[in-house]
Amino acid sequence: MIDVQNVVKVYRRGSNEVRALDGVSLTVPRGQFLSIMGSSGSGKSTMLNLLGALDVPTSGTISIDGQQVSQMPDDALSKFRRSRLGFIFQFFNLLPTLTAIENAILPELLGGKSREEMEPKAKALLESVGLKGRWNHRPDELSGGEMQRVAVARALLSEPALLLADEPTGNLDSKTGAEVLRLIREATRERNLTVVMVTHDPRAAEVGDRLVRLADGHIVGDDPVRVAA
Amino acid sequence: MLSLLRLVSLRHFLGSPLRTLITVAGVAIGVSTLVGITSINKSVMNAFRSTIDTVAGKADLTVAADTAGLPEALLETVRAVPGVAHASGGLTLVAPIDGAAGQNLYLMGVDLLDDGFFRTYEGVDTDVGKLADDLEFLNSTDRVLLTDRYAREHGLTKGSTFSLITPDGAKPFVVHGLLKETGPLKAFGGAVGVMFFGSLQEAFGRGRTLSRIDVAATDKKDLEALKQRLRVALGPTIEVDAPERRGQSVETMMRSFQLGLNLGSGVALLVGIFLVYNTVSIGVVQRRREIGTLRALGAERSTIRGLFALEAVVLGLIGSAIGIPVGLLVGRGAIAGVARSVSEIYVRVNVSDVQVGPTEVLLGVALGVLGSLFAAMRPAWVASSVMPVEALRRDVALGGGQVSVRSWPTYVGVGLLALAWPVTWLPAPVENLAFGGYFSIFLILMGTTLLSPLLLRALNRPFQKPAEWVFGFAGRLAADNFARSPLRTAVPVSALSIGVAMAITIGGFVGSFQASSQRWIDQAIPADLFVTSSAKLAGVQNQPMSGEFIEQIRSIEGVELVDPVRIMPWDALGLRIFVISNDSAIYMSRGTPLLLAGKLPDEARRSQGAVILSENLARRRNLTPGSTFTMNTPTGVHTFTVDAVIIDYTSDQGSVIIDRKVFDQVFQDTRVDSFHVYVKDRARDTESVRAAITARLGRRFNLYVLSNAELRDEARKLIANAFSVTTAMELVAVILALLGVINTLLAAVLDRTREIGLLRAVGADRAHIIKLFAAEAALIGVTGGVMGVAIGGVVGVIVTTVVGVQATGWDFPFLFPWQIALQMFVGASVCAILAGLYPARRASRLDVVEALAWE
Repeated sequence: MIDVQNVVKVYRRGSNEVRALDGVSLTVPRGQFLSIMGSSGSGKSTMLNLLGALDVPTSGTISIDGQQVSQMPDDALSKFRRSRLGFIFQFFNLLPTLTAIENAILPELLGGKSREEMEPKAKALLESVGLKGRWNHRPDELSGGEMQRVAVARALLSEPALLLADEPTGNLDSKTGAEVLRLIREATRERNLTVVMVTHDPRAAEVGDRLVRLADGHIVGDDPVRVAA
Repeated sequence: MLSLLRLVSLRHFLGSPLRTLITVAGVAIGVSTLVGITSINKSVMNAFRSTIDTVAGKADLTVAADTAGLPEALLETVRAVPGVAHASGGLTLVAPIDGAAGQNLYLMGVDLLDDGFFRTYEGVDTDVGKLADDLEFLNSTDRVLLTDRYAREHGLTKGSTFSLITPDGAKPFVVHGLLKETGPLKAFGGAVGVMFFGSLQEAFGRGRTLSRIDVAATDKKDLEALKQRLRVALGPTIEVDAPERRGQSVETMMRSFQLGLNLGSGVALLVGIFLVYNTVSIGVVQRRREIGTLRALGAERSTIRGLFALEAVVLGLIGSAIGIPVGLLVGRGAIAGVARSVSEIYVRVNVSDVQVGPTEVLLGVALGVLGSLFAAMRPAWVASSVMPVEALRRDVALGGGQVSVRSWPTYVGVGLLALAWPVTWLPAPVENLAFGGYFSIFLILMGTTLLSPLLLRALNRPFQKPAEWVFGFAGRLAADNFARSPLRTAVPVSALSIGVAMAITIGGFVGSFQASSQRWIDQAIPADLFVTSSAKLAGVQNQPMSGEFIEQIRSIEGVELVDPVRIMPWDALGLRIFVISNDSAIYMSRGTPLLLAGKLPDEARRSQGAVILSENLARRRNLTPGSTFTMNTPTGVHTFTVDAVIIDYTSDQGSVIIDRKVFDQVFQDTRVDSFHVYVKDRARDTESVRAAITARLGRRFNLYVLSNAELRDEARKLIANAFSVTTAMELVAVILALLGVINTLLAAVLDRTREIGLLRAVGADRAHIIKLFAAEAALIGVTGGVMGVAIGGVVGVIVTTVVGVQATGWDFPFLFPWQIALQMFVGASVCAILAGLYPARRASRLDVVEALAWE
């Protein structure tokens, strides 16, 4: 389903070369919830950027849902992100001028779909993430947990092939963080969605099915998560 | 502080070269426009004054009559007055050059021996001292001394001949010698000829008249007493004054002309301040994080404020240093046009170069430095007031705060607008200076500027649907962004609106004036053909023609009537007015004077001295039908009764219309400025009569024959030319505003980097991002356009009905210039979009990963 083969990503910082990923190979079957952990500079953000089609590798191939994202031109990448990927960010990244429902359907609106077409589905989704009746609120009228729920709804709306989460609980208190994680877990399991989540938090990582550890651009650990008793 | 400036600011300037460049360019353009316009204004005025001064030479008093002239015998009368040390008479006139349309030679007729007392003439190849005994020079009527420059430029040498138009037609003149371009000859840019005054009188049929007698007093301290004695000796019709006083009526007159220039420089100044404010304040806002870092590292608030103030001063100085010489170049580019307009409409001025004095430099530096300082202070104050931790936060939406209805800008803005109409009633402190009107315009521009952030906020919702309809969902986001930083976005919107408003105001004023003057020409002077000497429109540069031509014109087949019109500049009622005389029978039967008050006088009333006044003269001097006034004339002081007030656009100072017979008697002048020819059948005879006049008189006497349509066209062009510099200013204002648009959007790109990253992450492609910023630019353009059209309409009404009335005395209705409004609106929107494309491209090329900057 996700197939990463021999991926190298080299950044240039002035005259220095940084090998952020150094020959990483990884396969994630459909429906798997993969957590990636690692310290700062381990390459986990680079991995997320590449899987999120936000960046292209220096060498190697990445295929998502059968499509080679490592060789797509920019506009095709945009379209691919819009239709096949869902993002959840640490800082929620909602547009402050849009209401909850507008934020949720933003990728569809960018894709040229009409509001009328998308609203019923978005309302149902917002209701399912616990935001019934709050769809016309703007981000500054929502709590952190609520904002992240909107972000989850936004990520799920297009029924993506892959959901990427970057420290989704990093900006939330532990109770709310746990709730949001549970929401992501349940929603993706119901839909048989593949999830890749980057986190610092070992407890958050344990929500997944599988845990990959990165260090200095290499995979240093790849284990199934033991289901807590 | 200086080390901080070098360490922090200099690196910042060099690190964001584009923004630094825009800031400096903004300051420089504002400064150059101000310096350019003020120096043009000053140079024209100075040229005019220096003409008066150098021509007057060392004279303490000048005895003068106007175009009709002083009898030569008065020279002896003056010399006999006790206290007169020396007196010298002179005759000056302007002669059109044969075969060079629109070019004239200023001829001075003097007695070189006598005149040498007041003025110095230096010969190039001629001993000026010997000319007083040179019988060939004194006894020939065709001997002229030219300046060496003029001779060189026209390929003339001593002994060569050239042709000038005299009242008897073109005549050959001989170059008798060359003079250096010094003293009085310099004032006219070298286009001067000097003749013996007796020869000049003879050659130009001036009888034994002088135009001026210069007087030197034995006692320089008591000029007033000498003036009184001269007045008693010469009688009440002859004016005796210090030379510089004679220029004052012309200066008053030129104030009307400066209307356009004043409006232009005021607007350029305002827009310049806007742009400086815009660029500097955005720079400060964007460096919030840097400020936070400096604060976190221990910099005090006062240090931050001082640093930004110093930066602003440095940028202001650089901008001024560039702007002042550029302003000089701008002035040089425009001065010829302005001088031509002034020379066509008012008085001959020779301005070869613009002068930039300490006042202009100081004004320029003040705008550049103080404007930048003022612009930087508020944002620097706000930025340094927040806690370091706040400033350091990455996700704070930057960009200049929110606006609320209940705040001081709202109250002040509404207050200023409320005062705008009442202040138009303020009286003019100096004649022709429409202070109240200008003040009102200033209040309107300030008021709308203060209220514009509120307007922007209010426009958010109304803009959402149309923007989405045009640009897709990116348009909707643009409508939101447009209203998000209203304080910042309001700056380019206001600047743009002022540029647009100015175009509407001036376009409306010029159009309204043109429409009214065309109607006047149609109704009041419907003649089929107009015969004039070389100057195309009868005016200050016109050389009057001999009245004898009338018989020759009348005898042409197809001519029905000929009205010999004299349009003579004359000092009366403290103004330089035009005395117009025409054949009343023709004037009232063929034309329809646009009567405003009273009753057109019949023949009996006319012969008793009843006159018609132009509305502007009546308004300026508060004269109504039934009022009487006096004028000094060559035959004594005469009292005239006002019978009617009509619309007349001959002079912006005012006109008195007198019956030709009465005029000939009173002013002893039978010359004609324009023959108004009525043909029997307009369709059939116009062209044949024109051809016949040209054949019989035109070629010989260098006369022009204009059709009615051509006269209308000339009048239209004259009005448009008077505002040509203002049109250039509109362009500068709009360019400044567009720089503001680029700057604002560049700032928005930086502010919203994260959002752009997010949009790209959730699938927006580059086209979406370009549309997002292009749409925001379009909204800025549309709002600036709509505001400009509205403000321009209101200011146009004020300029036409208040400033125009105070400056010219003409009251005509304001016609809203729909076509210009549409052009400006579309132009502003399209230009704003184009200006937005660069920031949009930059936004679309942001690296998504860096923009999102996760972790």
